[in-house]
Amino acid sequence: MMSHYEAPIRKPLVTGDKSYHDVTVDIARPIEGRANKLWWIVFSIALFAFLWGLGCIIYTVSTGIGVWGLNNTIEWAWDITNFVWWVGIGHAGTLISAVLLLFRQRWRMAVNRSAEAMTIFAVVQAGLFPIIHMGRPWLAYWVLPIPNQFGSLWVNFNSPLLWDVFAISTYLSVSLVFWYTGLLPDFAMIRDRAKLPFQKKIYGILSFGWSGRMKDWQRFEEVSLVLAGLATPLVLSVHTIVSFDFATSVVPGWHSTIFPPYFVAGAIFSGFAMVQTLLIIMRKVSNLENYITVDHIELMNKVIIVTGGIVGTAYITEFFIAWYSGSPYEDYTYLSFGAATGPYWWAFWALIICNIIVPLSLWWKKMRRNIMWTFIVSIVINIGMWFERFDIIVLCLSKGRTPSTWAMFSPTFVDVGIFIGTIGFFFVLFLLYSRSFPVIAQAEVKSILKLSGDRYKAMREAQGDDVQLYELPKQQPLPDFEKLIAEQESQQEDVVEESGGLAEKLILNIGKASKEVADDLKRLSGVGPALEEKLNQIGVYTYNQISNMTEKEFGILDELIQKFPKSKTKFWAGEANLLNKK
Amino acid sequence: MKYSILILLCLALSLSSCADKNDPNYQYFPDMYESLAYETYQEAEIFPNEQEAMKPVEGSISRGWLPYDYEDNLEGYDLAKAELKNPLVYSEENLKKGEELYNIYCATCHGKKGDGQGWLVQQEKILGVPAYDDQGRAITEGSVYHVMYYGINTMGSYASQMSEKELWQVDHYVMKLKAELEGKPERAFETESKVEENVENTEEKEVAITE
Repeated sequence: MMSHYEAPIRKPLVTGDKSYHDVTVDIARPIEGRANKLWWIVFSIALFAFLWGLGCIIYTVSTGIGVWGLNNTIEWAWDITNFVWWVGIGHAGTLISAVLLLFRQRWRMAVNRSAEAMTIFAVVQAGLFPIIHMGRPWLAYWVLPIPNQFGSLWVNFNSPLLWDVFAISTYLSVSLVFWYTGLLPDFAMIRDRAKLPFQKKIYGILSFGWSGRMKDWQRFEEVSLVLAGLATPLVLSVHTIVSFDFATSVVPGWHSTIFPPYFVAGAIFSGFAMVQTLLIIMRKVSNLENYITVDHIELMNKVIIVTGGIVGTAYITEFFIAWYSGSPYEDYTYLSFGAATGPYWWAFWALIICNIIVPLSLWWKKMRRNIMWTFIVSIVINIGMWFERFDIIVLCLSKGRTPSTWAMFSPTFVDVGIFIGTIGFFFVLFLLYSRSFPVIAQAEVKSILKLSGDRYKAMREAQGDDVQLYELPKQQPLPDFEKLIAEQESQQEDVVEESGGLAEKLILNIGKASKEVADDLKRLSGVGPALEEKLNQIGVYTYNQISNMTEKEFGILDELIQKFPKSKTKFWAGEANLLNKK
Repeated sequence: MKYSILILLCLALSLSSCADKNDPNYQYFPDMYESLAYETYQEAEIFPNEQEAMKPVEGSISRGWLPYDYEDNLEGYDLAKAELKNPLVYSEENLKKGEELYNIYCATCHGKKGDGQGWLVQQEKILGVPAYDDQGRAITEGSVYHVMYYGINTMGSYASQMSEKELWQVDHYVMKLKAELEGKPERAFETESKVEENVENTEEKEVAITE
């Protein structure tokens, strides 16, 4: 018998005494039930915000970028701030699903589905900004190297803005595929449970005919691992490329070699904060507290502490280098004495407080495990990370090398409206997702249920590691073989006696034959010496007789001989016919 | 899948057939396709006759151009015939350029040799083109220029086709053709230095023309 050892120090990842079926039911419930009033209220608000943002986008594109608060000095502000912010948020999803998969972190299984959904929805929001901040967005397709009628005029591959195009589009497509393949078994689960034909049809299409065979699962695991291996460098490279938008420039404060890792750390930092914000609400609303436990929240808080620490270190480094470089231009960069005391002092201090000071509270275990506090901190971090991008972009641009170009930035309602619109759009997508998708990867949770479910952990604790975690089907008592053989023998003798009129009728239909002209009936499929003997007793000796049999005669034969290999008889007539001709 | 490609192909074909050859084709976002500034020969309501190309004010003189002093009548013709001289150096370069221009603007009627047997005359589209060695006309440098400038009888003015310098270059070539028709020896090319002595007074004018 297999035994399993898991360190007793590990806490259960699935609480509430769950069985496989409980997991299915819990995860399918939000999809199979109806949305409540609260959902509709929140959805309406999000939809309204989205439509408002859409109006602002249409206004911008049709009227011109001048409706934003940009000026000739600060040509990037809220647009790229929001872009980088949303891309950053998207990074946690892939980190959870890919990097934690590579590190074999089981706790990711309860959060990866929603984190990936968050990635995709956030990248969609991010993807809006590079388009709408264009002066002529209808020519956006020119960023693609497509052969064309301008003498095949191509793009210059030296610009990080072009790398952004490749990075973001690749990131979105890979994340989407990764997410979707993970969804196949779960969609199949919903499909198999669906009662309404419409739902069955929809989830039948979505699940691509997943049938959960051994080979499918084997390949599924391989694909997941390969995609995780591909997605991990992608996560690191995408935000690196985004950071190149700044780091490759000559703007003081932007031109910094620390940006690539520092941006990635910030992305994971803010992404995890957003995952916390969403999951803390979702576990409550969708009754998933047994899957997304306080331990999950604590573990994510630990990731936040680590990445927050990296970001804090980077801040200190930037601040130090601004002073250490001795360059007078570095006095006005976003992390410098000039920034701390200049006109954007509030943005500087918002960054320091939100991203360094407040997250420090998570070093205390009590705070880390406090759901309410985690929720507050996660929102504060997202505000802080927005300010980080705002500071990098706007502060560094506002005081460049030439004092005559120094300027301030103030957003217009359109800047703000588009940002609110993307938040609305994000929540529209996320709310729709949470009611139509399995928000927890049930197939994966089921794979760790017996390792990490509290029910099974308790069983192992009580009864040792060898305890059987499954029930065998109830065994039938073995039959008494001797008695059976005796019965069979007596039956054989009975055959002829019982058959009486039936045997005669059969012979009448198929023609008489005698032992002298007998064929080798054993050549028919399913006929052994015993069956041949029985057939002979009835009076069936030749192929000719059998080829004369129809369904009716086989019926009679069926009655005459018990334990008749019925499945084979349909071939007999044909086989006998062929043998007869030889 | 097979059908969708077919449908796409049909759609593309039917869309491309929307282009009408008698009309300018459809444009995708013609952002800087129509000129905001006035183009030379465009129509615009703001101008008299709705035509952008307006005449300069009478009597105004633009840089690099001088008015032609002889009047467009018989007296002017006679005067030009008598006293007007070609200010350009009789050089190979000027002659070559004159030949090119002559073959473009003049040869269809006057013929490549200046014998009045141009293509249009041969086709009998027009008649009565005299040869350059016509004794009765006895053309000179001055009269040729005058005729090219104003036109005479059925011949129109060429002042709008060619610049003053170009007219004088053609003038040299016409005189060369005349000499050839009359069987006279070829005129020797002048060098720059020789010109300086001869045409000191016209030098200023030439500089103005070449500018």
